Amino acid sequence: TPMVTGTSVLGLKFQGGVMLAADMVGSYGSLARFRGISRLCKVNDSTVLGASGDFADFQHLRQLLEQMVIDEELLGDGHSYSPRAVHSWLTRVLYNRRSKINPLWNSVLIGGVYNGESFLGYVDMLGVAYEAPSLATGFGAYLAQPLLRAALERDRIPTREEARELLERSLRVLYYRDARSFNRFEVATVTEQGVELEGPLTLEANWEIAHLV
Amino acid sequence: DWTAEPVSTGTTIMAVEFEGGVVIGADSRTTTGSYVANRVTDKLTPVHDRIFCCRSGSAADTQAVADAVAYQLAFHSVELEEPPRVRTAARLFQQSCYRYREELSAGIIVAGWDQRRGGQVYVVPLGGLLLRQPFAVGGSGSSYIYGFLDATFQPGMSRSQCQEFVARGLALAMVRDGSSGGVIRLAAITEEGVERTVLAGSDLP
Repeated sequence: TPMVTGTSVLGLKFQGGVMLAADMVGSYGSLARFRGISRLCKVNDSTVLGASGDFADFQHLRQLLEQMVIDEELLGDGHSYSPRAVHSWLTRVLYNRRSKINPLWNSVLIGGVYNGESFLGYVDMLGVAYEAPSLATGFGAYLAQPLLRAALERDRIPTREEARELLERSLRVLYYRDARSFNRFEVATVTEQGVELEGPLTLEANWEIAHLV
Repeated sequence: DWTAEPVSTGTTIMAVEFEGGVVIGADSRTTTGSYVANRVTDKLTPVHDRIFCCRSGSAADTQAVADAVAYQLAFHSVELEEPPRVRTAARLFQQSCYRYREELSAGIIVAGWDQRRGGQVYVVPLGGLLLRQPFAVGGSGSSYIYGFLDATFQPGMSRSQCQEFVARGLALAMVRDGSSGGVIRLAAITEEGVERTVLAGSDLP
């Protein structure tokens, strides 16, 4: 059973890379208990991971990933795990845990750039896994995904600035409508150049409509 | 009836970092259902000379885990030939609390002083995650004082300011939470050592 949980994670492919965004709160039921935690993590220079769900299980996943990356570096063969490989590995781990009726209670987004190609994938506690140009977990799947998909209509790929603005706008909608969200957030951007983590940032909310009621 | 209820340290517990150490505090009430089994409990448990834990949740679970961690730390300290780090103690708590998360009911705050990083506070709540914080609060009584703490906490408080902050927070929680009460036990942990005080009755803020 999940205890301290994180809400939605958003992911979007743009021209030249992938961007993930998530707020920075760990909720204990309805209590916003930990208000400065990071739910995004860098796996290696080509991959980032964002998790929603139980935070203790996310910390466990982070440890597993860290060890895996170290083991691979020790091989010293110049290769590092591609985002697709990380996604595949994670799918196996999560599916096998669910098959033992002891799941890691998370929904995870993996974003990365490898050999010039962008990757964005989803895996959850049931082992369900898929890829798409835009993704979201939790509430985001209902509220943000339609916004993200609208921008990607007719195979349009947004620029980095457009993607950033779109993710921020989506997070704001989630802040208005998701009772377990918070207005502090982080953004992780992966390009050919590597991984950039921005944050903590704060969302500005517009309450003008309150005066019209 | 109360003989069927588990013994719980209902509780309010707090810990705050300051320059040079930490201040920790707890109430002193242990309940079985609504009967007060122990009104003078000590929930501030040493796991090493300069590292304490504040226990909330099941009395049995937290005592068992704390005993195990104290043993592991003592052994580790002999191997290391120096006092263990607070972070190590916190990690040991986390390993037990995460592995047995389905069976345990333990909300723990680990706080202390070490040579490497000075005063540190780590929280290991239900579920078994590990997080370092400038201050931490836990137990059933903590719900009632989040507002007070958010409004009053300032980073960079002195030792005596921290002690006052903790005492006031605990006092407010003990009034409102039926599972918290009794006396306030405080401890200040620094390089010099551990100084324990008790605030009772009229001493309470």
